This record gives sequence, C-alpha cells and structure tokens, in this order.
Amino acid sequence: MLNHAEASEQFIQDAERTTWHDETLWFVRSKRDKASKVIPEWEDLREHASQIKDHVLANLGQYLVEFEAKAKANGVHVHWAKDAEEHNQIVYDLVAKHGSKALVKSKSMLTEECHLNSFLTKKGVEVVDTDLGERIVQFRDEVPSHIVLPAIHLKKEDVGETFHQHLGTPKGNKDPQFLTEAARQHLRGYFLAADVAITGVNFAVAETGEFVVCTNEGNADMGAHLAKVHIACMGIEKLIPKRKDLGVFLRLLARSATGQLITTYSSHFAKPREGQEMHIVLVDNGRTRQLARPEFRNSLKCIRCAACFNTCPVYRRSGGHSYHQPVAGPIGSILAPNFDKKSNVDLPFASTLCGSCSNVCPVKINIHEQLWFWRQDLMKDGLAPAGKSLSMKGMAWVLSHPKIYRLAGAMGRFVVKNLPFLVNNSLNPWSKQREMPEAPKESFQSWYQSRKS
Amino acid sequence: MSTRDEILKAIQQNPLPLKSHPGEFKVFVPSTDLLGDFQASLKTVGAQFFNCKNEQEAQQALDGQYPAMTRYTSQEVVTRGLDLEDVEVLEIQGEFGVAENGAIWLRDDHLPHRVAPFICQHLVIHISQSALVGTMHEAYDRLEGSFADFGFFLSGPSKTADIEQSLVIGAHGARSLTVLVTNK
Repeated sequence: MLNHAEASEQFIQDAERTTWHDETLWFVRSKRDKASKVIPEWEDLREHASQIKDHVLANLGQYLVEFEAKAKANGVHVHWAKDAEEHNQIVYDLVAKHGSKALVKSKSMLTEECHLNSFLTKKGVEVVDTDLGERIVQFRDEVPSHIVLPAIHLKKEDVGETFHQHLGTPKGNKDPQFLTEAARQHLRGYFLAADVAITGVNFAVAETGEFVVCTNEGNADMGAHLAKVHIACMGIEKLIPKRKDLGVFLRLLARSATGQLITTYSSHFAKPREGQEMHIVLVDNGRTRQLARPEFRNSLKCIRCAACFNTCPVYRRSGGHSYHQPVAGPIGSILAPNFDKKSNVDLPFASTLCGSCSNVCPVKINIHEQLWFWRQDLMKDGLAPAGKSLSMKGMAWVLSHPKIYRLAGAMGRFVVKNLPFLVNNSLNPWSKQREMPEAPKESFQSWYQSRKS
Repeated sequence: MSTRDEILKAIQQNPLPLKSHPGEFKVFVPSTDLLGDFQASLKTVGAQFFNCKNEQEAQQALDGQYPAMTRYTSQEVVTRGLDLEDVEVLEIQGEFGVAENGAIWLRDDHLPHRVAPFICQHLVIHISQSALVGTMHEAYDRLEGSFADFGFFLSGPSKTADIEQSLVIGAHGARSLTVLVTNK
C-alpha cells in the first residue's frame, strides 16, 4: 500500500485535475461560509453542539441504556457489536434469515469502516449502494474519496464512461442531468424489489429511541419504506440526549457540509411500519478505546459533515484516496491511528497543522491539535518514518546549541545564495514544483546586534 | 459476558469528569417576516411557492404547474407502498413549515403510506400561513409532546450534486415540490 505522500504524488501528476479538485472543494467551503454567516448566533450554535457532545461522551453508558430501552419499547430490535466482524455477522444473519440475495444500502460511513460490502459480497449477497456518488464508485470498484461527496475525485467524463459500461448510456454522454436520470431509473428497480434496506444513522435520540437519517436524494427513505426489513447501523457515539438537541445539530450539519440550509430529507424513524422489522446495530469498533484516551476523546464528537475536508489545503490537493481510509481528511487522520497505529502512521503527518479544520468544525473538535498529539504518540512508540525521527533528533540538537544554530543558519544562507543546486534538487522534497526562496543577507540576530551598536 | 455488557463495562471503566448538558438553545434571532423568509428559503432549495387566497386559486396554480397530470389526493391508508409506484402528483397536507430553511414537517399518520412522498414523481404540499415557525428550535418546541412513528422534515425536491458538483433536481425522490400557502 502506498503511504499518503506517495499516493498524493500520483494524484498530483495531473495538474489540471488537481487544480479542479482543489477549487471545487474550496467552492464548497465558501458555500459553508456563506450559509453560516447568515446566522448571527452561529458561534453560539457550535459551542452549544460541542457542549452537548461533551455531555454525551461523559454519560455515554447511561444514554446507550436509555436509548436501547426506548427503542425496544418502540418495537425496534437492538443489537450490539464490539467490532467490525461482529457487526457484519449480525447484518448477514438478518439478511440470511429473510433469504435475501440483494439489498439496498444508503450512505453509512460505519459500514464502510467495517467493510460490510465486501463481507456480504463474499457471502453471495448483492449490495447495491443507492447514493448516486456511492453507486458511481461502486461501479468502478473504488471506495468513496469523500464522506459527503463520494465521487468528488471524478469528472463527468469519467462518470459518463462508467455509466456507458454499466448502464448502457450512450458513449460520450457526460450530461449530469441525463446521467442522474439514468441512475434514477436503474436504482428504482432495486428499490422496488429489495426486501432488506440498510441505512446509516446521523443522530440517535436517547429520550425517544428515534434515529434520524439525513439525505438529499431520498434514497435512504426509498429503501427503508419499501423493504420488509430496515437495518440501521450506527457507532455508539451518534447518541444525543434529547429531541430538542436536534434543532442545534440540524442547523449545523448541512450548512457545514455543503452550505445548504438543511438536507432535503431529515427523517425521524421511531417505530417500524405495520408488518416491517426494524433493527439497530450499535457498534463499538474501537470507540470505547478512543473514549479512554483523554487527548483523543474529542474526535468522537464528529458528526461527519466533512467541513474539515473541504477546507484542508492538504486534502484538497491530495485527494481522498491518498488517505487509504474510509474516512479521509483531517478527521480521518485522527480517527485512523486508533484502529491501527502502524498502518496509519503517515496520516497525522499529512497536514500543515494550519488549524483551519478546527476553525470550521461545527462541534469544535481540536483536530489540528490531535494531529500533533498523534505525531508525538507515534514518535514515542518508535513508529514514525526513520527519516522523520532522525531529522527531528538533528533539529532538536541544533536548536539546543545556540552556537551551532547560528553556524547552521549562516551555512544555509551561504548555500542558498552561492550553491543553489544543493537545495533545488530532487533530494529535497521542498524544492519539488517550487524554487527555494532567496536567502536574506544576514540573520535577524546579526541585524539586531548591528542596530544596537 | 454479552457484547452489550462488555461495551458498557468498557465505558464505565474510564469514568469521565462530569459535564452538564448546556440546556435549551435560547440565543437565536426570531424571524420578523415568517412568510417572506419561508418563501425565500423555498426558492433557495428549489421549490415552487404559491400564496393562495382560497381553494380555487390553489387549484388554478396546480393546473398550471402540472397540466395533464393526475393528482393523487386520497389520504386513505395504502398497505403496499409499491401500489403508489405510478403516482404522478401527490397532494398532501403539511403540519408546519420552518422559515429559516423551508423545511416542512410531515408525519406518517397523515400520509397514505410512508413511501408516498418519496415514490411519487411530483409532490404538492398545502400548508397554512399560521403554521410557520422561524427556526429549527421553534420547530422542535412545536413538536414537544407530539410523537410520530415516522416523521420528517422535507426541504425542497430530491436533489444531488454527485456528478462534478452540478446540481440536478430529481434524484430518487420527487422531481418537483410545490408549496401552497393558504390563509387558514
């Protein structure tokens, strides 16, 4: 597997596409700014949402028990899964019990995290992703590159070609309206035929046992209201205490995500419809482990809006697939090491630590600080890349010896001025696609000294 | 030990410092023009809006909007959602609307079937002008004590921008939404 830097290098080979990706996501970020500034109390909303989530995390056990009791009283079956494997098995058993060979699934980052699709496919169950972006990447045998905009790495020409191959649309047709209509017709057949529908969960309300699913396309509802069995999969951190808390979160979610006022559909599922079976799977999969780590606990407040993706200068120019994780971007980079430090050691370093992610986060997660905490943690465990450890040690030594520091500075200025080829070469990653800046004639210190005398 | 107990035990093993719930959100700015804001929000989310004095005006607006299409107005319960597959225009009553985002609260006991407003090709919602609130906070205040087996906020027609961020109206749900506000 390529690490983030290697995968990014491939991504930016196509300069024009990289620029398009960068600008498109920045446009989404700008829409977020516009939508948030309409609300004078926006910052209060963020603070309120953050405090609600803090409260939930401090009382998670109690709220889980309350939610379970209320959901059961509503006639919903509640399952618990400690990890991805148990989650996938629970879902498969339900599907098998109903003898289904195909099911429809709306967007759920949890099922991506658990790799449910490949698990079910191996068992002979056809999983049809019904979100348009997810269906596109599923046809292409790829994974979503963004948690809200799954196919943002693709151009309409790519989608046109994919649909030509899989849906028989005319070759060369790349009109989004036409292609969306083709997907609508194609997926309607699956909606009408499916016995089982899987959805994710945006919020689960302990007070009432309801869960809320937000979509723009209406695909979660089309699936859930027609199928005999509805399975909703959620991480245990999706709980909120009261129904009224939804007022805060529904104002923040879509505005932060895409700059919309609210998603088209915000569906509140409380009881199964007559004759329907409704199941909720509550999944831990490392969340209790993260909860026990004070410096990383905050990451569990995430409501998956992806505002941190859209604003991140590294994500925008490296693409979601370079993060090799179902949840990419800044938030993914602080969630991933909790699953496996070793294989995700590159991700906390895939950031400039500029802090823009923390500034746009609707629940005020200190994302950039956690990236920095992970770097320290990974260095301490000896997992950081060898070059990084060595250069850090060298830097620490230079910085703690003032005379050597001054000498190094003088050498640096001399080299950049007189021997520029020593820094502008392929061995120095900072010189890729850019020239090193002109060096100042003297250091600040010597300028200061000369001014004093 | 069951998985349930294992998870709960893992949570209890690390008691966190107490953090109280911040309470209800109170600092929002109330709308001074509910109808105007509601109309502006509906425009933003791609819905058609008509302010009708009476039933006759409403019917005229719909005739203009959906000429030669059959309008399904029955509220009678349908057991099989699939039976609604061919509904062209579904006409239903919305409970209340939210000015800040154009969302309308709908609940399943006022629908022929839960899938009805999703499976139809076009959707028409009647709503009374007196049933408008400003923000989502006021919306949930209004919902206090009212529990629906299934209910949802709907804001505009079904849409997607998954192909190169181009907005396309009519993904899987209704291709258009017309909201008729009457002075009831």
